[in-house]
Amino acid sequence: MPLGTLDRTAPPLFNQGPSALSKLILFSAVALFLMVADARFKVVQPIRTVVGAVLYPVQWVAMQPVLLVRGGARYVEDLQSAQRIEADARKELAMQAQRASQADTLVRENARLRSLLELRQTTQTPSRAAEVLFDAADPYTRKVVIDQGANHGILAGSPVIDERGVLGQVTQVLPFTSEVTLVIDRDLSIPVQNTRTGVRTVAFGDVDARGGGLELRYMTSHADLQTGDVLATSGVDGVYPAGLPVARIDNIERRADTAFARVHGVPFAAVTAARYVLVLAPVGDPVPQAYPGVAGAAAPAADGAGKKKADAAKKGEAAAKDAGAGGGAKEGAKGPAKEPARSAAAGPGAKPPARAAKPAETRPGGQR
Amino acid sequence: MIMRPGQQQLLLPVNPVFIWGSLLVAMVIDMLPLGRTGWMPDVLALVIVFWGVHQPARIGIGAAFVFGLCMDVQQSALLGQHALSYITLSYFAITIHRRLLWYPVLSQAVQLLPLFALSQLIELGIRMAGGGLFPGWTMALAPVLQSVLWPLATALLLAPQRRAPEPDANRPL
Repeated sequence: MPLGTLDRTAPPLFNQGPSALSKLILFSAVALFLMVADARFKVVQPIRTVVGAVLYPVQWVAMQPVLLVRGGARYVEDLQSAQRIEADARKELAMQAQRASQADTLVRENARLRSLLELRQTTQTPSRAAEVLFDAADPYTRKVVIDQGANHGILAGSPVIDERGVLGQVTQVLPFTSEVTLVIDRDLSIPVQNTRTGVRTVAFGDVDARGGGLELRYMTSHADLQTGDVLATSGVDGVYPAGLPVARIDNIERRADTAFARVHGVPFAAVTAARYVLVLAPVGDPVPQAYPGVAGAAAPAADGAGKKKADAAKKGEAAAKDAGAGGGAKEGAKGPAKEPARSAAAGPGAKPPARAAKPAETRPGGQR
Repeated sequence: MIMRPGQQQLLLPVNPVFIWGSLLVAMVIDMLPLGRTGWMPDVLALVIVFWGVHQPARIGIGAAFVFGLCMDVQQSALLGQHALSYITLSYFAITIHRRLLWYPVLSQAVQLLPLFALSQLIELGIRMAGGGLFPGWTMALAPVLQSVLWPLATALLLAPQRRAPEPDANRPL
């Protein structure tokens, strides 16, 4: 019998390290800590970045067979369908050429009118083209991964559009790739404006609607809405440039048992089939500086609001203390307890409504 | 080494490079961008359980944790979700490894089904608690498919250990 036939290293009899149960408890605790840190405090961004960078070669390898099949399928695509696609593209180009020439005139006209009215000029948003690599495999959310990351200058919070409308928002930036949360994800919301009536609302993602769509919540049943209304970004949020088409209303249910109507929209963007997308630079500063990398879609508004509330509460407390110091001990004793609460409650309401309509806002009844 | 009933031959010692290579290949298979399908069997979980059962001294809970973190980042899931599911799998695999291998392979697959279902339930529970979407009932297929793949995994991953100890003209491998 040759030497390699049997395992010649004796199994360790005494030095077996910590038991499986203690290891399970230790690693479970670490996993739970990571989950809470990821969902609540957004402090694990560096871990994600590092693991993402290390995994990139493996991901690249995993992508090759799929790209090969995709490329092969396109290669054997027959001549007829290629010609048909080309004819369609030419038709679309012709139609767009007419609109483009009109647009040039309109832009000039608009600029003149705006200068006459002394309004601020609208600026062009810088953008960056990207390719959708794959749908994120996580079945609990609706995200896609694009091939541009922090190394290409992508910022968390940037709006992403395709050739038809708004596709979503960048919610996670890794060194070489980024994750885009689609508009149909339940945690994403977009401030929109009904282009027919000019009414501003917020559209929420709604995956359960046939194949994924958007939902307008808290619309009264007598609100002026019609099937076919186009919802475009309103531009009051400081993230999305105004006027990008988002969705078309396709179903309005008015019910007798509730004061609100259920309003569903279909996104213009090809949320399930987008290949090439455009990442726009955010109009304002979408992410508070204290949270440079936003992990979940929910961060900006919730954190921003929370911080402002805290600030307001602090101010209130300081004011109350001043009053207490000036006015007497009795005032001072009850002041700090009541004042902060009142000013905290008044804080968000005193701000212009635009601040409340930030994108990527959490569900009101949600966990966050 | 104990010869169990039904075991045809004495196995060769395992090659650590093969263990880690198989784990890496399983991870690549899991990372194939095939879209968002709830029923896709988790091949990496299967391989982690396989080595947890066959080589508990080499592939333990720590390795399962690291691979779980990698899957979390790749799938853009909650960080720690797959890690928790994989360490649970690895722990139970180590717990049952002395008993499980006395059964024939098909019976092993049946006994592993609750284990795979448990890990799937852990992931579902975590995400539902975190406010995720319900991915649909097709996800109940994933543990079944993983169990179905167990005999195949046994055949493939034990193949290098079943080679002839003395290669000759009749058995070159």
